[in-house]
Amino acid sequence: MASAFLLDMTRCIGCEACVLACKAGNQLPVDTQYIELIEHTSGTFPDLTGGFQNHRCYHCADATCVAVCPTGALFKEDGLTRLDRDACSGCGYCVQSCPYEVPVMSDGRSSKCDGCAANVGAGGSPWCVTTCPAKALEFGVRDAILAKAKERVAAIKDRYPKAQIYGETQAGGLGLILVLPDDPETLDIPADPPDAPAVVDLWKHVVQPVSMGATVLAAAGAGVLGIIARRNHMAELREVEETEKAGVSSGDPDTEDV
Amino acid sequence: MARVKLDITRRQFLATGLAGTALLGTGMGPGRSNLAMRYPDPPWFATGEVVTTYNYCDMCPWRCGIAVQSVDGKVIKIDGNILDPKSRGKLCGRGQAGVSFMNDPDRLQSPMIRTGERGEGKFREVTWEEALDYTAEKILAIKDTYGPEALAIFGHTTGDFWFTDYFAQAWGTPNAAKPSSSLCLSPRDEASKLTFGFPVGGHEPMDWDEMECITLIGSHIGEDSRNTVMQDFVEARARGAQVIVVDPRFSSAAAKADYWLPIKPGTDTALLLAWANVLITENRFDRAYLDEWATGLDELTAHVREFTPEWAAPITDLSAEQIRATARVMSDRSPRAVIMPGRHVVWYGNDTQRMRAEFLVNSLLGVYGRHGGMYFNKSPFLEAYPHPPFAVTGSSGGCSAEPGEESDVLPLGPTGKARADGAREAFLRGPTAMQELIDPMITDDPYRIAGLVVYGVNLLNSIPIPNRTIEALKKLDFVLAVDVLPQEHVAWADVVFPEATYLERYDELSPIAHKTPYIQMREPAVPPMYDTMPGWMMARELGLRVGLDAFFKWETIEEYLDTRLRSVGSNLEKMHDDGGVIIQEGKPYLEDFVADGETPFHTASGKIQLASEDLAGAGFDAIPVYEPTEEPPEGYYRLLYGRVPVHTFAKTQNTPALSAVYPENELWINEDEATALGYVTGDRVWLENDNGDRSGPIAVKATQRIRKDAVFMAHGFGQNAEGLTNANGRGASDTKLMSRYKLDPISGGGGMRVNFVRLVEGG
Ligand code: SF4
Ligand code: SF4
Ligand code: SF4
Repeated sequence: MASAFLLDMTRCIGCEACVLACKAGNQLPVDTQYIELIEHTSGTFPDLTGGFQNHRCYHCADATCVAVCPTGALFKEDGLTRLDRDACSGCGYCVQSCPYEVPVMSDGRSSKCDGCAANVGAGGSPWCVTTCPAKALEFGVRDAILAKAKERVAAIKDRYPKAQIYGETQAGGLGLILVLPDDPETLDIPADPPDAPAVVDLWKHVVQPVSMGATVLAAAGAGVLGIIARRNHMAELREVEETEKAGVSSGDPDTEDV
Repeated sequence: MARVKLDITRRQFLATGLAGTALLGTGMGPGRSNLAMRYPDPPWFATGEVVTTYNYCDMCPWRCGIAVQSVDGKVIKIDGNILDPKSRGKLCGRGQAGVSFMNDPDRLQSPMIRTGERGEGKFREVTWEEALDYTAEKILAIKDTYGPEALAIFGHTTGDFWFTDYFAQAWGTPNAAKPSSSLCLSPRDEASKLTFGFPVGGHEPMDWDEMECITLIGSHIGEDSRNTVMQDFVEARARGAQVIVVDPRFSSAAAKADYWLPIKPGTDTALLLAWANVLITENRFDRAYLDEWATGLDELTAHVREFTPEWAAPITDLSAEQIRATARVMSDRSPRAVIMPGRHVVWYGNDTQRMRAEFLVNSLLGVYGRHGGMYFNKSPFLEAYPHPPFAVTGSSGGCSAEPGEESDVLPLGPTGKARADGAREAFLRGPTAMQELIDPMITDDPYRIAGLVVYGVNLLNSIPIPNRTIEALKKLDFVLAVDVLPQEHVAWADVVFPEATYLERYDELSPIAHKTPYIQMREPAVPPMYDTMPGWMMARELGLRVGLDAFFKWETIEEYLDTRLRSVGSNLEKMHDDGGVIIQEGKPYLEDFVADGETPFHTASGKIQLASEDLAGAGFDAIPVYEPTEEPPEGYYRLLYGRVPVHTFAKTQNTPALSAVYPENELWINEDEATALGYVTGDRVWLENDNGDRSGPIAVKATQRIRKDAVFMAHGFGQNAEGLTNANGRGASDTKLMSRYKLDPISGGGGMRVNFVRLVEGG
């Protein structure tokens, strides 16, 4: 049965306890964190609204990172997106393709929330969920989490007329169901992330070949570039290649300016 | 200011084996290997037996009960103790980083004696015997020459009892002080005692579970990440409680508020008086409650008549409608509507009166002893370990008590000297004021203070006018620093005692005054790392060397703790087996007192003093009046400071995991102001106060979230301590920009929001 997280941003107070609990429980390297709190503000003083974007893995059902991962290091299990770091080759495709910009490279390999696979597997609950002082986080069976999220939204409509659920349908349905006080864009979350299959298609047929020496990147449409150009794709691919000496052959230098 | 790296001559043999103690240095310790460990597989909990020990968190002074999990003698993970009424199984980010704090490679590792000039930071490592003998010799010399009162003892954090309370009283100095009083809570707790006859107490007794309206004045819950308060605030709000936030800054809490009042800094008393005016003139107060439980209603009614919302509006820069509307929101929900007694209330030097004004509004709302209001807390019963009468009673007074206040006379030390902080003259009453003990160290007035013990206080990053503190440090005959880290002031010590962290030691039991009074325990998860020692052991070893044997009769800490626990039918083993806490019964509500025919209010009248006879008798206003605060000069901003959720005071900036998440502070400045000055977010600037003192560089955060007349930064950054890899030189220091403070003439609090800064280029 698919699992999911509930993350209620009307409760989250931005305290970053989840960040530190995750780092401690998973013994992450000191410079790595799976959750980042980003403050957002709308309006001008003193007519303001604001809150936090609680940036962490969305656990997409149609996960682009899983689709582009050439080694199977990223895979779906129980509705969550797992990461087997041993299997990761460090190619960085997941970093480039995630519509939410979640995975990062740490120690030469992909690094992201795996839903506390080990801890939950041993009968515990995710470290972030256990500690959250605001009880903004819950973890359970996705259907139940979704039902609870709907109850929450109904209960807070008075205070937040635009309250809504995020994640029921996006990217095939997320494993992180958000309760939002307002439209997702106010917290810099894309209302509609790029459709995974289309992205993957372009990626597999255009970008991957490019990185393996093909010279047809110029043929790629602006759509896929929207995602790729964002982070200076070619420069990063070169970095990836450097860190992964034994990997695929280097790209054509002529594509640098693309 | 001197930038001093500790320059340590390493001793060859670390473990010295003080007789009968467990001082085995653990060499590199588990910490280093932890830091190096990258993505362990299998996970730690699958690598061996997980051993749980109980403790109370020391990452801030809030004392959440924790369950510490270790495997193979390595501490791995800290969780909230589910039985503990403060943590309830949860922790804040700082609490989660306790293992990182313990494993900080910058920790002090061995006792040291100074070799260079004071402040140069040159030391040689010595044995504990040598360090203790030397210290004993030095403080005995001070005692012989000037009397025991000439030794000042400053302490903070959850281990401060042994030096600041116990040793100080046994030794006989009335000059023991904690920053948590006169640099934080004194005005609040003195105001509470003047009004109700009891202090607010460490755990604010808010009856959150049934609260329907919460008002925060400057309290920035969420950024101030005290675990329990965050839990209660979010839960109450999710239940539908209305939230009113009064803050010049759109804080995380303001962003959650139903009403945000972006008040002009320094005018809170005007707002409070106007709220009182609305409640009284609109007959929206609890008359029956006040008739029974308060005196002075007529005076208060007459007093606030002229303080209308229209009067307060231009003063506070709020609208009269806002003021009236929020007063009505509160009164509609009274008595389940509380203005939260905030912490760190030392703002403008008139702080006791401002806090009194808060308490008067709360009284009009009838919150004390009412469900959903403020409950009456109670301290747990726990007998002391038997000891001879102290040489001086009361010591620092802790956060909220005046030393020896039962007698109303300042306690005298063995050679007849009372505290040197000017109590009764420069200010009326309250705990010993740390910042007022600095001048006497320089001037010898009223008498010479020749020695200083600093336990866990970041001296140069918490007391305003740090240059003055350095002058004092230069003049002292002897300085002992007890700390875990080479903080900035440690370079100025003659002797350094490196302490074992809370995860490596037993400690005094922690009695918590609460709705359900309870007791916490601290037991070590691992033995002390390096050549460090628990504070209790240092105090005892020092005590035995200076003739205080009678106060340290116990042979082991286990025997000490077991003896105390016996008075509540427990012992160390049983308390551990019971889950690390002992919970007793409280007496929280008015009806509990009525049933017993008692009053909960301990003022002379047994009632709430709306008008304070004590203050009137001492020449102060019986009811608070609004007094304008000095305005920033042209081109300057008022310097406001506060917290970020992952740091405590000036203590955690070096903790690797916390530094990684928030490495340096930012300067909040109104975006329009920043634009006018030509700055954008991320630009690095220096700050200069109106005295010419500078600190920085600090990154600009241009934001709409703050008024145009003030700037804000997190406290505790900008430290000049080269021994602190992560903290040194990171960001700007609010303390170093405090070239003045305003003494609260009632409580002795040092008001620190009276400094003004401008943005400048270059240091
Ligand atoms: S611990 Fe909870 S409240 Fe704090 S930042 Fe994380 S999700 Fe938000
Ligand atoms: S589920 Fe586990 S891995 Fe993911 S963010 Fe929470 S603590 Fe970290
Ligand atoms: S509030 Fe945080 S740092 Fe303070 S005692 Fe609790 S867990 Fe520790």
